[in-house]
Amino acid sequence: MADFRILHRYATSLLETSLEKNNLEVVTSDIQLLVETLEQSRELQSMLDSPVVRPELKLKILREIFSKKISKETMDFLEFVISKNRESLLNSIGKRFLELRDEHLGIANVFVTSATEFSNEQKSVLQGRLEKILDKKVRLNFKTDLNLVGGFIAKVKDTLYDASIKHQLELLRKQFLTGEISLN
Amino acid sequence: MAEVRPDEISAILRKQLSGFESEVDIYDVGTVLQIGDGIARVYGLGKVMATELVEFPNDVIGMVLNLDEDSVGCVLFGESSLVKEGDTVKRTKRVASIPVGKELLGRVVNPLGKPIDGKGAINTDKFLPIERKALGVIQRQPVKEPVQTGIAAIDAMIPIGRGQRELIIGDRQTGKTAVAIDAIINQKYTHTEEAKSLGIKPVYCVYVAIGQKSSTVAQVVAKLQEHGAMEFTTVVVASAWEPAPLQYIAPYSGATLGEYFRDNGMHSLVIYDDLSKQAAAYRELSLLLRRPPGREAYPGDVFYLHSRLLERASKLSDELGGGSLTALPLIETQQGDVSAYIPTNVISITDGQIYLESSLFNSGVRPAINVGISVSRVGGNAQIKAMKKVAGSLKLDLAQYRELEAFAKFGSDLDQSTLRTLNKGARLVELLKQNQYAPILIERQIVSIFLGTRGYMDSIPVSDVKRFEKEALEFFEVKHKDIFETLKKEKDISKDLEAKIISAAQDFLKVFKKTA
Repeated sequence: MADFRILHRYATSLLETSLEKNNLEVVTSDIQLLVETLEQSRELQSMLDSPVVRPELKLKILREIFSKKISKETMDFLEFVISKNRESLLNSIGKRFLELRDEHLGIANVFVTSATEFSNEQKSVLQGRLEKILDKKVRLNFKTDLNLVGGFIAKVKDTLYDASIKHQLELLRKQFLTGEISLN
Repeated sequence: MAEVRPDEISAILRKQLSGFESEVDIYDVGTVLQIGDGIARVYGLGKVMATELVEFPNDVIGMVLNLDEDSVGCVLFGESSLVKEGDTVKRTKRVASIPVGKELLGRVVNPLGKPIDGKGAINTDKFLPIERKALGVIQRQPVKEPVQTGIAAIDAMIPIGRGQRELIIGDRQTGKTAVAIDAIINQKYTHTEEAKSLGIKPVYCVYVAIGQKSSTVAQVVAKLQEHGAMEFTTVVVASAWEPAPLQYIAPYSGATLGEYFRDNGMHSLVIYDDLSKQAAAYRELSLLLRRPPGREAYPGDVFYLHSRLLERASKLSDELGGGSLTALPLIETQQGDVSAYIPTNVISITDGQIYLESSLFNSGVRPAINVGISVSRVGGNAQIKAMKKVAGSLKLDLAQYRELEAFAKFGSDLDQSTLRTLNKGARLVELLKQNQYAPILIERQIVSIFLGTRGYMDSIPVSDVKRFEKEALEFFEVKHKDIFETLKKEKDISKDLEAKIISAAQDFLKVFKKTA
């Protein structure tokens, strides 16, 4: 958990420099690419984690993979992170950066889990409603889970907007247990 | 057994689920990162408050104690094997609280207010948080009414006032609990019509049992019931088998129950039995939460643990109704060592202490109170005048006796005045012995101490002192009832009354038969 402070610090500094240099868009897409690549390739992540591989070699490998695809500023940042021996946290730093960026731009990431797939019309209605409630731009991420039985759950940070049948059934179970409803 | 028909169930389900469309429940959640030893580390729960209750799956309840940058530390009040990594944790938006009110009298509850005596649900909608701030200076006034414990040695020499905090300290098996239980039983008098007519307000009691055997607690409850003291008493139990977090919050729950009476202009007496076990439970919890250990491995805030609890004892100002909360914390020492960490802490917080010693206990002085080192810093103001008058000379006589006690072995080689002091002291010590569960009313205590200090027992053999006292009180009760009545009403010994007692005592001496 001590890691959080470290990665938060690196992510904030990256965000602030990119705001200063006015290249947030570029850095964002670079970091998105970096995070995606690290998520997809286990080998790359374990190479970064490994203390056996020398930092110079790590930097060389990252240069070879990314130098053509990402901006110079982002590459400098990667170099800086490696020079501080924090390369194993790159993935988390990247994710934290994306979170902080969304926060900065007033975008709320909403994770919607539903029992059945939403239609496009439903999606836009939901988006409109959520933007009204949260007073922010909303980016929706969809997922289906049959366990919900019906309805949906929208998760904004730590807050759940729970409109699922599963939750209703759970409430009903509790009411039976506490005797608020009785059969006689 | 009533039968449950499937169509009834579906009807209810239909009714409950019909309003489904409009209901969106909004709540905050987190995820369990790590669980073990009754401690959960939770990611998320961004807006949670310290000491808020949170809900884990399988109806396990937890309390938030650590708020860190990206996670919170919770303690579990239930089985930690029912919670797994990755489980969802829900906020309840409710800091730990307990139901309060007169409905809880006569009940046995756990620290969260759940009844455990099998007498059904407690019908009260009044809830108060377990952790409450102690009152400030403006809201208080000095103690002025007494709490009579019914134990002569205490009521005479270590008087306790309403709103005081008096520590009862001693090794195991020295009768600490017995003193506390006697004090509760003696409050029965304050609930009688007679007390009401004399202007004595009733005292409601709370007995908090922390880390004790369930069988011991059951015995205490049975004893209280047997003596009719359960009607005005609530028992809060966190037994030894229960998780440390429950044992840790138990005294605070008890204090909250007492505060309800205090804040509504009534009087309460709360007994914490005992705080050493609570400190041990808190140590367990703190070490598991990875707070750094200090002296005796207790965390740094163990002083605050007890000071914030005992500061809640208070006597309210008249504008606020003049209610009071008297606290009697108990501390168990190891082999008489009062300089250990927890005993010194609690001694410094309380307004006095009652020392119980195993050597006294074993030599037959029961209650085994060492009156030489026991003190009450504020209770003297609350003592009734009559008791103050007789207790003064009692204290002096006993102090002189203790000083000369070592010489007692030399027997007849001593001069007359030394012998007299020794004789009187031995009789007074005998007089202060008292059986368990037999509290003595204050006016009777005054008369018997009066007889002792004025030397009416000096000619009686030590072995006869208790019989002398018993028969003397019976004699007074039958022949001179007015003496007791005047004492009760006037609470003072006037010249007139003194003469009456003396003449009655002389009458009694004539009829008292010594054992051959």
